[in-house]
Formats: sequence, structure tokens, C-alpha cells
Amino acid sequence: MDFTSFAKPSNVDGNNENNSTDLHFWKHVEYIENHGKDQDDYEYCMTEFLRMSGIYWGVTALDIMNQLDRLDRTSIIDFIRRCQCPVTGGFAPCEGHDPHILYTLSAIQILCIYDALNEIDCEAVVRYVSGLQQFDGSFFGDKWGEVDTRFSFCAVAILTLLGRMEGTINVDRAIKFVMSCCNQTDGGFGSKPGAESHAGLIYCCVGFLSLTQSLHLLDVDKLGWWLCERQLTSGGLNGRPEKLPDVCYSWWVLSSLTIMGRLHWISAEKLKQFILTCQDSETGGFADRTGNMPDIFHTLFGIGALSILGFEGLKAINPTLCMPQYVIDRLGIKPQILSKP
Amino acid sequence: MHGRLKVRTTEEERERKKKEQTLKVKAYRAAMAKIQEKRRLQQLDDEMLVLTSQILLRNPDVSTLWNIRRECVEQKSLNIDDVDQRQAIYDTELNFSEQCLLVNPKSYNGWHHRCWTLEHSPTANWEREVMLCSKYLKMDERNFHTWDYRRYVVEKARTSKQNELDFCTEKIKANFSNYSSWHHRSLLLPQLYPYEGDAQPKRAMNEEKLKEELEMVLTAAFTDPNDSSAWFYQRWLLGYSRQELDVCAFRCDNNRAVLSFTNPIILTEEDVVITDSKGNIKKKITNWKSINGAKSDTTWFCSLNGDKVLEHINDQYLLELHITDINVKQITLKTYKQSVYFFKPPNQSFTFTENVLNELQTQLESCESLLEYEPDSKWTLLTSALLMRAIGSQKYHDKSLKYLGKLEKVDILRENYYRDMASKWILEKYLLDWTSSEDFPGKLDLRNEEHLNAIFYPQYLCIADIVLVSEKLNHYSDKKQLQGFIAFKL
Ligand SMILES: [Zn+2]
Repeated sequence: MDFTSFAKPSNVDGNNENNSTDLHFWKHVEYIENHGKDQDDYEYCMTEFLRMSGIYWGVTALDIMNQLDRLDRTSIIDFIRRCQCPVTGGFAPCEGHDPHILYTLSAIQILCIYDALNEIDCEAVVRYVSGLQQFDGSFFGDKWGEVDTRFSFCAVAILTLLGRMEGTINVDRAIKFVMSCCNQTDGGFGSKPGAESHAGLIYCCVGFLSLTQSLHLLDVDKLGWWLCERQLTSGGLNGRPEKLPDVCYSWWVLSSLTIMGRLHWISAEKLKQFILTCQDSETGGFADRTGNMPDIFHTLFGIGALSILGFEGLKAINPTLCMPQYVIDRLGIKPQILSKP
Repeated sequence: MHGRLKVRTTEEERERKKKEQTLKVKAYRAAMAKIQEKRRLQQLDDEMLVLTSQILLRNPDVSTLWNIRRECVEQKSLNIDDVDQRQAIYDTELNFSEQCLLVNPKSYNGWHHRCWTLEHSPTANWEREVMLCSKYLKMDERNFHTWDYRRYVVEKARTSKQNELDFCTEKIKANFSNYSSWHHRSLLLPQLYPYEGDAQPKRAMNEEKLKEELEMVLTAAFTDPNDSSAWFYQRWLLGYSRQELDVCAFRCDNNRAVLSFTNPIILTEEDVVITDSKGNIKKKITNWKSINGAKSDTTWFCSLNGDKVLEHINDQYLLELHITDINVKQITLKTYKQSVYFFKPPNQSFTFTENVLNELQTQLESCESLLEYEPDSKWTLLTSALLMRAIGSQKYHDKSLKYLGKLEKVDILRENYYRDMASKWILEKYLLDWTSSEDFPGKLDLRNEEHLNAIFYPQYLCIADIVLVSEKLNHYSDKKQLQGFIAFKL
């Protein structure tokens, strides 16, 4: 594909008052490409505990922008191989740290994008993930016993990407546990039974149900209403009532609404405008809110949300797995998605 | 990564900061290298605790360091039999995690380390933990980590549910805008005041308490009508939820059977039987297929290939169901032409007792008078419409739709939500009226429903011979449920 076709991605609405509503496409590419080039950078160094996820955020965002070849595939795959724990089969965020299901998912996602699952011991990953399931169906994040619906999502996402959902974990119990975290008041989900609904965890649980083909368990209209109420007058979305808007919630809320066939319940145009105001026009990258420091995490979720909203010049993204749709198609995976009423 | 303002700095300042950061990076790397070397040598000692604490106090997200601390605790307590001495090792961790949480009260790792420590320590003082939560909630009453932790330690400390409810009431009275407290409350009430009547869908709590809660929440909502927390709670109290799983429509002739449910379900093989009035099995329908080819669906179809299921069409036939999640086990079928059918229109609202109804009526009046002063108040408009539906969806049908129409304008971000809601209510009423019309169940004509923009209940339409929709709903014509029963095939 011709790079120059991206030089001026246009905003579909056509009523831009100023340049701030343009996507600073090349700035973002540069921002992600340069992320980590200075190994001694303070921020970079202090976030090594999530390096694997950091790479996933960068790789995915660049692929969505059709610029994946700007990163060095070989060294990334080598890095991932070095992070697989020879004992447990799980992945650490970087060398010298312990394996965890969060970074195991990131590693598998990157390898799927690079079509390189054959580079690692997948059987060991399956053993690691199924070993973390508890009797009640929940999942530990690692051997230290923290339970959270995020880990339920990670587990089924990893196994789906590896094509190993069948016969590895107890799916019925896993579903039962996730549903025990559903709140009657708003139809949303928290991190554990009784926990308050939160858009990030709603994404994990809705995504989980999408991967286990169980979306019929959702009270779609109730949850959909709570989610569309996340949109504030600025156009941005928050994660809980009476909280500030944040670009990452654009992703958590938007992908959940998309999976549930209720994307039309919010104003896409206003959200698009909000996301674009969170770009850093000097350095590239997206911040959580207008005027804040950008980071790679919010950069992926800003780009990802724009892709869901059909922004021109971006590849389609899969709302359940937050990966380019063509990768999901290549793997033959079909996460469940509900149609618009 | 959250909430860091980008500030303009001078070149000089930037240089100074850069130098400072270079030193910090060096110190971090040196400490990490030392820690990893010591771990390799299994030196899980006091020095290790000091080294890890230096980093964790600044950066509690480095989860591996918490793991190392736990390894230290396990190692140190191995050879100690004295309970007090062992407890001291765990107390160090409790003090340390408290220190960390003061700096970073949203650290998943910090809270989990505390749980782990208490679970493994020889003696745990759970009451102290409850107090700690109260203290942390004073600093931030929306911190969901603290609330989650509170629910966990309250359980352990066996604090009475009534005590928790009192705590919650106090929190709400101090600040109505506290979704977290309302949420906590919504968990306690169904346990403290369970509903014991037999209305369907089941209420969350008994009606006396429900009335009290309705009063309390409206006072809260009126204090600041723009704050959403209380309104969400109010909507829950009004019994807002999808219908319970139930059979909603069935039709069968000698060629085909269609069976629909209020919500999607997974229909397995041996679930459905047609009997005559004496209970003799006429047909066991086993080969159900989701009409959308999905694993779960609201509407299921079975081809009967001219089986003589209904020999004497004027006989009485019954439908027997053996589906775990459905209470209804036997349904009397009615006859229409050469077929038998069953139909139960959707019902989204509760039927309340007199006592609650009076309260709802009073609330509606209060909302209406508030609307006189603030005609565009979104939450008051929405709540009024919902109250009308709760009191009498038939009686207030037109007025509640008028309010939704207004909401489309005052809350433009969610205009499509209100449009969909209106479509839902219109179809509900239509289906109810349809059952007593002469067209029933042969013809379903939606062409005159001007504001029907979406079809929310396709599963109800599948028993009609013909379904007619207006042009703007043409895109539904490929929906299988709208095909018409007579022609229906997969
Ligand atoms: Zn964020």
C-alpha cells in the first residue's frame, strides 16, 4: 500500500473549524517508532514492568496505521522468546521479571500479528493458562492468587488465539464466575463478585462472553444504557458515573457497545472530536485527556477507537480482541457480536 | 499514565530534570540488578526487603518485587515456631503496604499484597482492616479498590449487614453524588429485606423497604438533579430489567413449529412435547434449529414434514416444556386455522401494590412540578417517563412517548437511545393490543406506527401469517421472524 495515501487522512464530517481536528498521522507513527529508542529514557525505564504490553500497544497501533514494518520484527520476536518462563510457560513483561497472565496475553497477541506462534512453546502456554483456573471457574493472574475478571478475559483470549479453548479449561464454570460479577443495578461488571461496575472490566467481561459465544447472558439494553451514559458533553467517555473522560475509555466503552450492537447509542462524531483533541500535536501520541502527557497506552486506544468509528486511512480493528481484523480473519476466529436491533 | 498535565518548561529546567532522571534511572537499575542477583542466590533477607521497598514506594506497579517480598516472608517464617515472632514478619508487610497505599491508593498490587498477608498471617485483625477502609474512604469515597477491599474484610470480620447499611446511609447522606455507596447499598438491601411475594419479575427487596428507598433516592436526586448517581439507583428501584426467561410465542401445524423465548437461550434436544388434554404424547419435537443458525437464540424452528401432529384440530392440545431455567412447564394451546398457538405479549413493567403506587404517583407529581421550572431537565424528564411506565404503561403511553421525544432533543448525544426506547414501548403496546384485535394472530400490520424505528421483539412476530412493515423498516424484511409462519422455512 502506498504510504502517501495516508499523508492527509481526512475527517469525514467535513466541518472542521481548525486543524486540531485532523489526525496527526505521521506524528503518531513517529511517536510509536521512537518509543524505546532511548533505552535510558526515564519513563521508558520506569515502565519496564509492563514492557510486553507496551510492545503490543505499539505493534497494534502501527499495524492499524499500516506502518508495522517500521518496527524490527526479528528483535521483537527474540525478546518475546526470552520472556517465556521455562518452568511455567507463562510470559514475563521483560527479562528479570516474573510471568503473569497479562503479559502472556500481550506476547501471544504480538506473535499472532507477526504470524509467529511457531516461534514459542504454545503447549506450555496452554498449560500455564489452564493451571491458573480455580474450582469456582475464576482465574489467578499468577501463582500469587489475585483473582480478577481481567484474568478471565486474558485466559479465554489466549486460548482462543491459540485455537485451544476446547478441552483445556472448564468453560462453563468460567462463564458462571464471570456472570457472578454482573451487577443487577446496571447490568455491568466489576473485577470480582460484588465489585462496582467499571467500563474497563465491562470490556473484559463482555469480551469474555463474546469469545465464549455467550452474549445471550447479557442484559444488553440495561448495560447499553449505562454505557451510553458514559458520554459527557465534551464528547469523551468516562469509566464510571461522575468521573472525568479519558481516551482509554473510548476503547473500553466503544468496543463493548460495538460487540453488543449498540454503538449508535452514543454520538460518534462528538467522540471523534474529543479523541482528536487528546493528540499531542508536537510529539505525537495521545494523552488520556486534552492537555496531558501522551503515552503509548492511550495512543493505541485512541487509534483503536478511531478505527471502530470508521476513520479513513486506518485498518479495521476487532472490538473483542483489540487486534487488526485481518489477523483475526487469518486465524479463522469469530468472536460473537450482536447485531443492531 | 493518567492525569499528568503537560507543562511548559524552560530549557534550563528541562536540563535539570533530565539530570535528575538520569540519576534515578541509574539508581533503579542498580537496585534491580542487586535484587535479581540476591534472588538468584536465594538471599531472601532483610536487605532484600529494604531494597524492594525503596522501589515500591515510588513505583508500586512493579509486581515482581511484591512477589519477592512474599518469597522473603515465606522464607523467614519457615523456621519460626513462636506465633508472635512470626506475626511480626507479617506485620512488617502490613505496615509497608499501608505506607504504599497512602502514596498510591489505586495500586492493585498494594491491595492484593495486603490480602495475601492477612490470609497467611498467624493472626489477622479484620476489625482493624474495616477501620482502615473507613479511613481510606474518607480520603476518596469513589476508590473502588477500597470498596472491594471493604466488602472482603467486612465478610471476614463478620460485621453485621445492618452495620454496613448504616455506614452506607451515612456516606450517602454526607454526599449524594456517590455511585459507589449506592452500589454497595444495592448489594445489601436484597439480603436484609428480601422480597417474599410471588410477583414476576421478582422484586429486589420487600415493598415496605422499596417505598422507603424510593423516598430517600428522590430526595437525593432532587438535591442535585444534574448528578446521575441517584437517578441510576432510582431506575433500578423501578424494576428496570429485561424480562425473565419465558416462552413468549409458539405456533405449530403439521409442517412446522416455531417456538420463541423472551431472551435468547440454548435449546437442547429433549425439551418440548405436544400432548393432548389427557396427557398423551402427540409429538416430541426434538430437532430445534436456531433460526439465525446461532448457538443461542430467541427463536427456534423445527420442520415437521407433514407429520400428523394435530389429528383433530378442535381437540385440546398442550405444550409441555422441560427447560431448566423456565418455571412454566405446561401451556394450553389455542387453535387458529389448521394450527395451534400460544402468545404472551411482552411486559416490561412491574405491578406494584397500592402503597408503592401511591408513592410513585407522588413522585411523578414532584417531577412534573420540577419540570415546570426546568422543562429541559434531562433526568427529570427520563424519570417522569419511567414513573409513568411503572404506574400504568397503557394509561400514560402517549405522554411517556412525548417525553422520550423531548429527550431526543435535550440529550442529543443519546438521541438514538431514546428513539430505540420509544420503538420498544410502541411495539409493546402494539403487541398487547394485537391480542384482542380481529387480525390476531393471522396478520400483524405495523405500517401505521409512525415512530417505530426499530424492531426490538422480532421473536414475537414469528407466529403471524403475514407481517407488514413500513418502508423505513424494509431492512428488517430479511429478518427470519418476519417471514410469516405459513411460508416459514429455514
Ligand atoms: Zn486512560
